[in-house]
Amino acid sequence: MQLTIDKRSVVARKGEYLLEVAQRNGIEIPALCHHPAVEPWGGCRLCMVEITHPDWKGWTGLVTACLYPVQDGLIVSTDTKKVHQVRAGVLDLLLARCPGSSLIQNLARQYGIEETSFTPRKAPDLCILCGLCIRICEKIGASAISSIGRGVEKLVSVPYETVATAACVGCLSCANICPTGAIAFSESEHCRTIWSRNFELVRCEECKAVIGTPEQLEHFARRSGLDRSYFTKCDSCRNREAAARFVRVTF
Amino acid sequence: MHLTSPEALKRLKSQLVRQRKENKSVITVCAGTGCVACGCAAVSAAFREALKENHLEEKVEIKTTGCHGFCERGPLVVMRPEGIFYQRVKPADAKQIVEKTIKQGKVIEKLLYRDPQTKQLLTYEKDIPFYNKQERLIFGMNGHMDPTSIQDYITLGGYQALGRVLVSVHPDEVIEEVKKSGLRGRGGGGFSTGRKWASCRQAEGEPKYIICNADEGDPGAFMDRSLLEGNPHAVVEGMIIGAYAIGSHDGYVYVRNEYPLAVKNLNIALAAAREYGLLGADILGSGFSFDITVSRGGGAFVCGESTALMASLEGKIGEPRAKYIHTVECGLWEKPSTLNNVETWANVPTIIEKGADWYRKIGTENSKGTKVFALTGKVNNTGLVEVPMGIPLREIIFDIGGGILDGRAFKAVQTGGPSGGCLPESALNLPVDFDTLTEAGSMMGSGGLIVMDDRTCMVDVAKYFIHFLLEESCGKCVPCREGLRQLHEMLEEISRGEGGVGTLDGIERLCSVMEQGSLCALGRSAPNPVMSTLRYFRDEYLAHLEAHRCPAGVCKALINYSVIEENCTGCVVCKRACPAEAITGEKNQVHKINSEICTRCGICLAVCKFDAILVE
Amino acid sequence: MTLPRAPLQQILTKYPPKESSLIMVLQDVQDAYRHLPLELLVEVAKALEVPKAKVIAVATFYKAFSLEPKGEVEIRVCRGTACHVRGGLLIMDEFKRLLGIEEGETTSDGKYTLEAVNCVGTCAMAPVVVVNDTYYGSMTVNKLNRILRATKSSKTADAAREETE
Ligand SMILES: Cc1cc2nc3c(=O)[nH]c(=O)nc-3n(C[C@H](O)[C@H](O)[C@H](O)COP(=O)(O)O)c2cc1C
Ligand code: SF4
Ligand code: FES
Ligand code: FES
Repeated sequence: MQLTIDKRSVVARKGEYLLEVAQRNGIEIPALCHHPAVEPWGGCRLCMVEITHPDWKGWTGLVTACLYPVQDGLIVSTDTKKVHQVRAGVLDLLLARCPGSSLIQNLARQYGIEETSFTPRKAPDLCILCGLCIRICEKIGASAISSIGRGVEKLVSVPYETVATAACVGCLSCANICPTGAIAFSESEHCRTIWSRNFELVRCEECKAVIGTPEQLEHFARRSGLDRSYFTKCDSCRNREAAARFVRVTF
Repeated sequence: MHLTSPEALKRLKSQLVRQRKENKSVITVCAGTGCVACGCAAVSAAFREALKENHLEEKVEIKTTGCHGFCERGPLVVMRPEGIFYQRVKPADAKQIVEKTIKQGKVIEKLLYRDPQTKQLLTYEKDIPFYNKQERLIFGMNGHMDPTSIQDYITLGGYQALGRVLVSVHPDEVIEEVKKSGLRGRGGGGFSTGRKWASCRQAEGEPKYIICNADEGDPGAFMDRSLLEGNPHAVVEGMIIGAYAIGSHDGYVYVRNEYPLAVKNLNIALAAAREYGLLGADILGSGFSFDITVSRGGGAFVCGESTALMASLEGKIGEPRAKYIHTVECGLWEKPSTLNNVETWANVPTIIEKGADWYRKIGTENSKGTKVFALTGKVNNTGLVEVPMGIPLREIIFDIGGGILDGRAFKAVQTGGPSGGCLPESALNLPVDFDTLTEAGSMMGSGGLIVMDDRTCMVDVAKYFIHFLLEESCGKCVPCREGLRQLHEMLEEISRGEGGVGTLDGIERLCSVMEQGSLCALGRSAPNPVMSTLRYFRDEYLAHLEAHRCPAGVCKALINYSVIEENCTGCVVCKRACPAEAITGEKNQVHKINSEICTRCGICLAVCKFDAILVE
Repeated sequence: MTLPRAPLQQILTKYPPKESSLIMVLQDVQDAYRHLPLELLVEVAKALEVPKAKVIAVATFYKAFSLEPKGEVEIRVCRGTACHVRGGLLIMDEFKRLLGIEEGETTSDGKYTLEAVNCVGTCAMAPVVVVNDTYYGSMTVNKLNRILRATKSSKTADAAREETE
């Protein structure tokens, strides 16, 4: 099907969402709670765009691009005055929540905000509650972290260490997906620490690069059905080996 | 008893009606949560005792019914068939009622209701202004039946609509009838019920689900509770008819956690309906099957929102999701689902029974039928009132409600709960219907009407609702979660008299972002209480900001308590009650409040019998 | 201290072992144990095959649940709109002062828990207080004192009401 984004005609398949289509066509829409690895969620409200349709008799609507299903003939504008106002408002609020986040500072600056017009949160951290970490952890099948509480009091954590840290495999997926770097972790020679828990490190048999924690590799082996021995080398060593085999066969 | 055909149901009804005719006088004791709170259980027990003493158990029946609506006057007792209305009945009165009213036909004056305006004593229920302006289409049965008795419901004509539909009406025709009736959802949005059903019927996917929204989170509304407690079968019958029309076999009722009696009565009703062959497999021998599961909510206002409610039914946290694909296509467990409010479901049997044409005659052009309102706050008669759509607010508040408490001045009426707004005197002549209230900057919502007098501060009311929403926001999206935090902060400042006039512009800007940017209707309508008070009571905000005064005498930082010397009798009641020990004065001498120590808790004002405390 | 497991086992047999039973199971556990003990949550998670983290998310999202044990006498002060405009705040403040605890807290002897609820559905009798399962309408500071006195001598609900009328 065919739709128009910022006056450009683009092609889309049924079942896609506006944000994917825009990104594929190099049209930029800011988004903080979206990541291709997980289902869209619609929490940050930054990806707002204005839509209309020739059949809608002039009616327009503000929708989140990450969740709006494409539709033939849809006309999308990603930078109208209304869109700008809502995004600026959202960023102003986020800046009050996380004044220390350079990501938010930079985004806010793009919308003309140097300093928040609201009251900054007392004792702020870097978490914007975008929910990406929880969703990725669920996606990899660990579900070790969750939201605790609700509303303004909500936070993300490994609930009650003794209870649920058992589920954390130390894979760092959450820390890597976090847009603001709010999830702290550290790694030394033999030890990785995340969510206040220490993990041993497994290194590649060949090059000695870190490939993960024993719990993580165990988990991945179980989930993928591959043998545990598959996870003894790092990806690049494994690729190099495969390539070498390939060369031998063809010659 | 297991009924296997609509004819069998009809026969049962005639048999029950015949039995009732030869029957005796009935003492109906209201046993809704309101009257339970006033101790009606003891009253029923006392009646039972008194009847026994007089050897009248056989001749007189005691019926404990659901809520009659006039909770304020509870415990309520109505003597039928005469319709003599006794109010604030104590267990000790039972004996006298039996001996005087039942045996000698005499009316006991001290238990009658006195009209606060005409000062007249009124004997009969039908003469009481609170009742006689109402049109009790949905609520009327409550006072006449024991909600735990399916036979009572059947006697009053219950389940006949279902019986007829199952054998002789095609599902599409049921939907047409509901569409034609003009019924709009009573849960707040006012969406056409018939259209919702039609989309769900057409949607692809199996199974389809039917859900009844009994979460009633709006603080100050209790009609859904009273319906479920007082007439659960009407809701059940409505749901079965809906299920038949849509083609669903599984239903859910999501009941608010704070409503134990509603859950109990509903479960009794469901069990009885199953036993009578009205629910479960092969209903009335028609081949159609449908059953209902009751789910207790977990205590979250946001779970009244359709997608959050469905998430909650699935066992998840109640976070709403985008509705760009409607729940009628993709709802509970991603299947087509129809969600309607308790009162909406309860309207269905009446519409089918009496026909859409009859129903359409009640109400206004675009809002048909009646609406049950919970009339509360600073008004003389509080309780549940059912009125035809289109009746002016003034009639509800002044005729049915009997005017403002203590003869004070009316200031505003809050409609629509946390998503609604406050309407001033000038709006009192507006006809109450979905569209008019929305235009006036408020909402029909679930039907809470909270009356406020000149001692209610509009800044405080706005702050109250924002605080409520702050605690109830699910926290998923930024504009609602962070916006409410900031909005509350700003209103706190105003109530302390801090900030400048610029604060109001800031509030308006923030409200616009929340309205347009929030994910669900909780966040999108959260600004309403603030915007409506700003629209109609801007001066009061300015008084806080510029003159540092709270005209209603509510905002603690801006008021002072003092003693009005002429009125003070030196009775020492306030002095003893003051927790801060801020009041001095000897007995029979004028007292004094030390405003340095005074915490503005208001206890002296509450205990003073001589109007001698001044707040300004 | 280990908790008796029998009530939990019985609750678990009442519902199908799947995610949609979670909230109902937690409701029953809350009723039986007066709170949601962490050790039981782990077992609920296992029995319903729901990740522990999700159980915790649900247990902390809904107001009906509490991870801390509640007091023997649970006092719920209505903070609904109708009660608010009729002076519910004053009642709350007075309970706080007399019990020496804040909203949501339990006295150190485990006797009283003070909570705010948003409307219990008896708004016509505002302001309302619910003590365990007994409703008290048209609350005043005086009535409040009498209720507290009655709960101290752990009288039955009806006796307490007689006294407060
Ligand atoms: C925050 C929020 C709370 C709601 N609470 C309720 C409620 O308690 N009861 C209700 O029936 N509808 C409530 N609604 C409206 C429902 O989402 C839904 O529109 C309604 O139940 C549909 O039924 P109806 O068409 O019969 O009104 C609420 C909506 C929102 C956004
Ligand atoms: S608007 Fe509020 S309640 Fe609705 S999804 Fe957003 S945070 Fe949750
Ligand atoms: S990316 Fe769409 S709302 Fe966050
Ligand atoms: S507002 Fe208190 S009971 Fe409804």
